[in-house]
Amino acid sequence: MTLKYIGKDITRPDATGKITGRVQFLDDIKLPGLLHAAILRPDCAHGRILSIDTAEAEKLPGVVKVVTGKGCEMVYGDNIRDLTPIAVDKVNFIGQPVVGVIAETLAEAKAAVKKIKVEYEPLPVYTDARDALKKDAVLIHENSGEFWHLPGIEPIGGTNIANRYTVKKGDVEKGFAEADEILEGEFNYPFGSCSAIEPHGSIAWFHEDKTIEVWSSSICPFIIREEVARVYGLPICDVRVHIPELGGCFGYKSDITVEQTIAYLASQVPGRPVKWVATRKEDFLSTLIGHGIRTRIKIGAKKDGTLTALKTEILHSTGASADTGVHVLIASTHNSTGTYEFPNCFLDGYSVYTNTPPVGAFRGYGHQESHLAMERMIDILARKLKLDPFDLREKNYLGPGKVTALGETLHTTNGNVRKCVEIVRRAVFSAPKAKAEDENYYYGRGFAALMKSPKGAPFSSKSCYLKFNRDGSVCINMGGAEVGQGLRNVVRMVAAEALKIAPERIRVYTEIDTQFSPWEWQTIGSMFTTQGGRAVVRAAEKAIAELKKTAGIVLRTEVDRLDYDGDYVFVKSDPTIRVPVPELGRGYTFDDGVTVGDVVHTTADARLPIQSNPDENGQGRMGITYTFGAQACEVRIEKKTGKVIIDHFASSFDVGRVINPVQIRGQVAGGVMMGVGAALHEELKFDAEGKALNPMFRRYRFPTIKDAPGRQTIEFVETPGEIGPFGARGIGEHPVVGVAPAVLNAVYDAIGIDFYEIPLSPEKILEALEKK
Amino acid sequence: MKKIKLDITVNGVKHSLKVDPNLRLLDLLREELDLTGTKEGCGIGECGACTVILDGKAVNSCLILAGQCAGREIVTIEGLSDGEKLHPLQQAFLDHGAVQCGFCTPGMILSAAALLHANPAPTEDEIRVAISGNLCRCTGYTQIVEAVQAAAGKDKGDWWLQI
Repeated sequence: MTLKYIGKDITRPDATGKITGRVQFLDDIKLPGLLHAAILRPDCAHGRILSIDTAEAEKLPGVVKVVTGKGCEMVYGDNIRDLTPIAVDKVNFIGQPVVGVIAETLAEAKAAVKKIKVEYEPLPVYTDARDALKKDAVLIHENSGEFWHLPGIEPIGGTNIANRYTVKKGDVEKGFAEADEILEGEFNYPFGSCSAIEPHGSIAWFHEDKTIEVWSSSICPFIIREEVARVYGLPICDVRVHIPELGGCFGYKSDITVEQTIAYLASQVPGRPVKWVATRKEDFLSTLIGHGIRTRIKIGAKKDGTLTALKTEILHSTGASADTGVHVLIASTHNSTGTYEFPNCFLDGYSVYTNTPPVGAFRGYGHQESHLAMERMIDILARKLKLDPFDLREKNYLGPGKVTALGETLHTTNGNVRKCVEIVRRAVFSAPKAKAEDENYYYGRGFAALMKSPKGAPFSSKSCYLKFNRDGSVCINMGGAEVGQGLRNVVRMVAAEALKIAPERIRVYTEIDTQFSPWEWQTIGSMFTTQGGRAVVRAAEKAIAELKKTAGIVLRTEVDRLDYDGDYVFVKSDPTIRVPVPELGRGYTFDDGVTVGDVVHTTADARLPIQSNPDENGQGRMGITYTFGAQACEVRIEKKTGKVIIDHFASSFDVGRVINPVQIRGQVAGGVMMGVGAALHEELKFDAEGKALNPMFRRYRFPTIKDAPGRQTIEFVETPGEIGPFGARGIGEHPVVGVAPAVLNAVYDAIGIDFYEIPLSPEKILEALEKK
Repeated sequence: MKKIKLDITVNGVKHSLKVDPNLRLLDLLREELDLTGTKEGCGIGECGACTVILDGKAVNSCLILAGQCAGREIVTIEGLSDGEKLHPLQQAFLDHGAVQCGFCTPGMILSAAALLHANPAPTEDEIRVAISGNLCRCTGYTQIVEAVQAAAGKDKGDWWLQI
C-alpha cells in the first residue's frame, strides 16, 4: 500500500496554540459571575464525623455558601456506585472532601476553609490490602455488598473485598504436576501519581432553566454527562459538558471523580458557575492515584523451559472507593501471563478497600504491575533451569495460533513479539558486555518482553462527524480527548489519507462539547488510534460514496463507473469526464439553478469488534487488539552511592503502522521516562495513619531531565493489524509496561541481587550490597 | 488591605497598576493582565510551569510578588512571538515534536529563551541545567533538548531580547 501522508512527520495541528500560550486550559476559563470553591480535607484517614462547625467560616467576607455532606444521599460510580460527592457521616481517606466553601474569590474561599472545625472519632486505618483483608478488620464500607455494580463485578459483602476476579484456563494443578521446576515470588508496585503538570479541575453551573453545564479537565465528557444527569434526575440532553485543552492525563483524569463534588457544591448556588482547580497536594490525594498492586506468582516449567502452569494472586489496595480501580485489577489479573502462553492458569485478583485515595487508571492500566512480576520471574527461572533467558522466552511467546489466559486465539494481525525482541537485542546485547565493573561502577543489562491488551466495554464506541465545505476542505469533529498524545494529528492524517486530501485542507476539532461532539465512551486504553481511526476511515468512505452518488447524477452515469482522487470524481474509463469535488460538497447546482444531491456530511463509529463480559472461568473477548513489544536497557550502578544510571534504553513495539514518526517517538520517549520514574524514584507514601508523606513534586521524586536515560533507541515493527486505520495499533501506554522489570533485570546483571519491589532507591541498593 | 502602586513593563507594554501587596506575579499576569499563557502547576516553585523572564532571567512567577517587580521588565510566552512570526525556539519546538500536552511548554520555552539570551551557543549539558527546573510529564525531555539545540544560534536579535 503506497501511502501519501501516513508515516510522514506532519506537524500537529495544536502545536502552534500551545507554543504561543494561546490555547485555553480549564483554569484559563472565565465566566460571568464566576465563584470559586475551596475544599476542606480531613486530617484523619478513617473516622466518623462527630461534628462540623462552619459558623466562623460563614461570617467571613466574600463567602457565599458553606456546604457539608449532611443529608446528601447521592451515590455515583460508573462501575460500582461506591462514591459520594462529599463525606456524609464518615471519612475514608485523607483526600476526601468534607466541607466545601464557595466564595467570590479563591483567596476568600481558602481563608474560610481554615476556620472550619471538624471533630472525628478515629477508626482503624488500613493503607495496605493485606491489613484490610484480616479477619477482624473494620469494614470501610459497611454496605459494600449492596452497591449497584456492572455485571461481572463480584463484591464480597461483609469484607473489604470490592471485587474478586478469577481466570481459570486448563488445569493448574495438573500443570504444576507436570513441571520439573516450580518457582514462587512476590512483587510490589507501590502507589504512584499520574501527576500531569496541569492539575485536575472542574467548573459546574446549575442554570435557571434546570439544565446543568460542566467544564472539566477530564477525558470522559460523556460519562460525566450521564452520571450528573442521573444523580440530578435530568434527561441526559440537559447536561452539557465542555472539555477544554488538557494538560496531560496519563490515566487519572478518566472516569468521573471531582466533577460530582463540584457539581454538588454548585447545586447549592444555582444560577452561578463555581470553579475549583486542585492544588498540587489535592491533585496528588483527592483525584485518583495509581498502582498499589502486590503480585504473588508461582510458575511451573519443564527442564527444557516449556512453561506448564501459572498461578498468580493479585492484591490491589484499591483505595476508599473501587469504582475506578476495579478494572485495573481485572486487567492486571488476566495480563499476569505477560507475553507467554501458559496452558494452565489460575489467576486470582482481589480489589480491596483501603484508607488511601482511590486508585484509577494509570498509563499501563495494570500491565506494568504484573509484568514486573512475570519478566523478573522468567529471568530467575532461566537461571534455575540454566537456560539462556532469551531462549526460555522464545520457547513460550504468545503469537499466531497461541491462546491467551482469556481463551482468545491470537493471529498474525496481533503483531510479532519476536521481531521486537530482535531489535532491542541488537541494540543492547549485540556484543558481550564491555566490562562487569570498574573503580566507580557496576554495569548491567536487562530485558523485558511485553504484551498490552485493550480494556474496553461492550459499548466502547468512538464516533466521527465529517463534513465537506464548499471549497473541498473538510472539518472533522470527534469526542476523543487530546491530552497531548497527538490524537488530533492522527485524526487529520488518517482522514487525509482516506480522503486523498492534503492535511492542510482538513481542520480537526479543538475542544469537546457534548452539545456538538459525536459520542465517545472515553478516550482510554490506547484505543483511539485503532478505534477512532477506524471511525474516521468509515466516515471518509461514506463521504466519498456520497460525492460519487451526486456526481453520478451530474454525469448521468452509474456510481460504480466512477472514481475519486480528492480533487475530482471522474469516469474510470475516461478521467476527462469529471466533476470537481468542491462543486459536490453541498449538492450540485446546474447552471439553471436546479440542485441535485445532498450535503456531504457523514457520521460513523467504531467499537471494539468483539467484546464480552467474563464467563464463569473469567474468560471472554477483549476485542483481539493485543499489541506486543520488547524493552531493554544498559545501566551503571555507582558504587559509592548506589545510584542506578540508565545509559541506554531501547524499546520496540509492533504498532502495525506508524502514523507519525516524530509523534510516536515522543510517546515512547515520554512513556519510558515515566517507567524509569516508577522503577527508580516515584512512590506516593502514606504513614500508618493514612497521612500522605510526600504529596509534592520534589518529595515525590517526579523525574526531572537529570533522570532521563542517556539515550533511547526507539524502533517499530509494522505488522498490519486488521482493525485500525491502515493497520495501525495503539501505543500510548505500552512504553511504560516493560521498564521496571528491564531495569531490575539489569540491576541483577550488574550486582547479582534480585529485587522484588520498586522504586529501587540508592539506599536500597547500598543496603543490599552491604548484606551481600 | 491597602493597594500599592506598581509600574511594570510586560512584553514591551508599560502598565501603571494598583495591586494588593501580597499579589503574586503569576496572578498579576493571569488575572489582571489576562496573560494566561503563564501556567500554575504547583504554586511552590517546583515545576516551572509559571516561568517568565524577569530582566532577562528565567524566574518562577509563583514565588515572586508583583510588588517586587516595580520598574522591571517581564516577558511572558505571549511576548515571544509578534503574532505572525514565531520565535526560533517556538519553531524548533514545532519541528522537533517537543510539544505534547502544552502545559509545561510556555515555561520550558522561556527557560530556554533566557538561556539562549545569555549564552547563544550552549552545550547539551548547559541546556539540561537550564531546563532542569521545568518539569514535563509527556516528553521524557528528549525532544525538548533537541529543539533547544536546533534553535541555538538562530536568534537574530528579536525585539524582546533587547530588553
